[in-house]
Amino acid sequence: MSLSRDAEYCEYVAARMSSLRRLAAVLCDDWQRADDLVQATLIKLYVRWSRVRAADHPDAYARTVLVREFIQERRSLWVKRVSLVGRVSDSPAAAVDHDVVLDLRAAVAALPARQRATLVLRFYCDLNVDQCAEVLGCSPGTVKSQTARALGAVRRALGPGHDAGPGEPARRAGGDTTPTRSDRP
Amino acid sequence: MTEPQVRELFNQIADGEAGPSRVDTQLALRRGRARLRRRRVCLAGAPVVAAATVAIVALAVAASPVRPAGQAAAAGGGPAAPRQFNPLVASVTFGWLPAGESLLSGGITRTESYMDAGPIGPDWSLDVYARGQCHLTGSASGLNCPQSKLQFSQRAPDVAGHRAFWTGAGIAWQYARGGWAWLSIPVPNFSALRHDKDMQRKALKIARHVRYDATTPLMFPAQLSGLTSQWRIDNTYYEADPGLLRADQYMLTTGSSRFHPHVGDLGVWTDAPYIQVHPAPRDGTCTPHDPASENTSEIINGYRVVLKRMPIGGLPHQELCGAHADGLWFDIEEFGAHPSIDAASLFRQHLRLLGTNPANWTKNPIG
Repeated sequence: MSLSRDAEYCEYVAARMSSLRRLAAVLCDDWQRADDLVQATLIKLYVRWSRVRAADHPDAYARTVLVREFIQERRSLWVKRVSLVGRVSDSPAAAVDHDVVLDLRAAVAALPARQRATLVLRFYCDLNVDQCAEVLGCSPGTVKSQTARALGAVRRALGPGHDAGPGEPARRAGGDTTPTRSDRP
Repeated sequence: MTEPQVRELFNQIADGEAGPSRVDTQLALRRGRARLRRRRVCLAGAPVVAAATVAIVALAVAASPVRPAGQAAAAGGGPAAPRQFNPLVASVTFGWLPAGESLLSGGITRTESYMDAGPIGPDWSLDVYARGQCHLTGSASGLNCPQSKLQFSQRAPDVAGHRAFWTGAGIAWQYARGGWAWLSIPVPNFSALRHDKDMQRKALKIARHVRYDATTPLMFPAQLSGLTSQWRIDNTYYEADPGLLRADQYMLTTGSSRFHPHVGDLGVWTDAPYIQVHPAPRDGTCTPHDPASENTSEIINGYRVVLKRMPIGGLPHQELCGAHADGLWFDIEEFGAHPSIDAASLFRQHLRLLGTNPANWTKNPIG
């Protein structure tokens, strides 16, 4: 392999590791599984490095690989898994102090992988419908329907008594007041 | 009203206590490199030519292996490197590895023989190229090999009388006339290697002990029969089992096999069955519940198999899998709309599984 290829790759991964892990954690809702997902993604990124390097937006490319790996991993066992041999850390799960959050988390966790990925891309990565469709490799219409189904499923799971967000008053659906994150892949 | 809640949930997860990362970039790099080499078999680019011609060349190559580099003269003279490798025989092997390290796996294409060694995952990776595959750059500051551009960091001590160069986290040397080898060293970069004399010493010792004249046949747990002479085995990938090299994956190619470079990660061949056979893992499965594909489960030759069809990269793709076939797990993949032999027919009419006892395996995968 070429030195420059490896050096470029390592430099890129070091710079993006934190944001890749966070995105993986949001998709998996589990930091251990997130690390497995990132590990598998990094292998694919290395294999496709020439394409990553040539991409107009390497971060968007990496995000696409990670999200598709997440969906694929849950869809099919035909793909060989990557399992990390490192010791699993004993760090506690994210602090949760509210029943609503617990219910919401459970409801989102119960969504099919593609629907969860759609929500993550829309509401964590702040992608619009077209960008989301590009990542998922589907039509914008499918993104809309997946989003609607996912949100509907979450609403049904939460029931009518859980309209307010955790620690804040309820907002109207469609309100886009959450600040965007600048460090996402 | 759910959307803001979902946003906040996602932000809470992202900002939560992450714990120390278990992600290992160097491991990803080594596994990626190994996968790249394994998959690169499809990128060799050389068109598949008539089987008979190549078979003759391959046999000729196998019959006259290059002498060990240690017996060769200076870089420009001595015996020539082989023009091709025989994918059925591991002619290149590690002659020495550090304590606790052993050969894990390898692969053989017509133009390259590669292998990985380590305690668990690949630490040391060796690529040996056939004659004419690698060329020094104009200023002799680097080496261009198929899919690899190596930049020389510094001149290294000679390897068995041949010129050698440190190449970042690796060492490249001319092992015979027209042939180069490259060893990847488990360090992050040349800066680390330059200060690690022990690692340099190990790398040089590994390089100096590489053998190029071994005749270890790969052992196949399955045998094909009844095929026309146009078919041949290509691009083998093997794993080192105790006492033998077990062929784990390989391709079956014919004159009409064609390479499609833009499908999948690294391109695929059509009319070229990809075959994997190995002892079945305890939890081996063919996982038929993939909503994106058409799956059918049936019995062929007494084995429960799953046939999966789905387009990949615009190409029709079929995959026949058996998770428990006399203790073996097998998988046959084919790309293209009109393969000469479809996966089911290949398995039904031509492939014979040889069980899990290595004593029954064969070094002649086409009987």
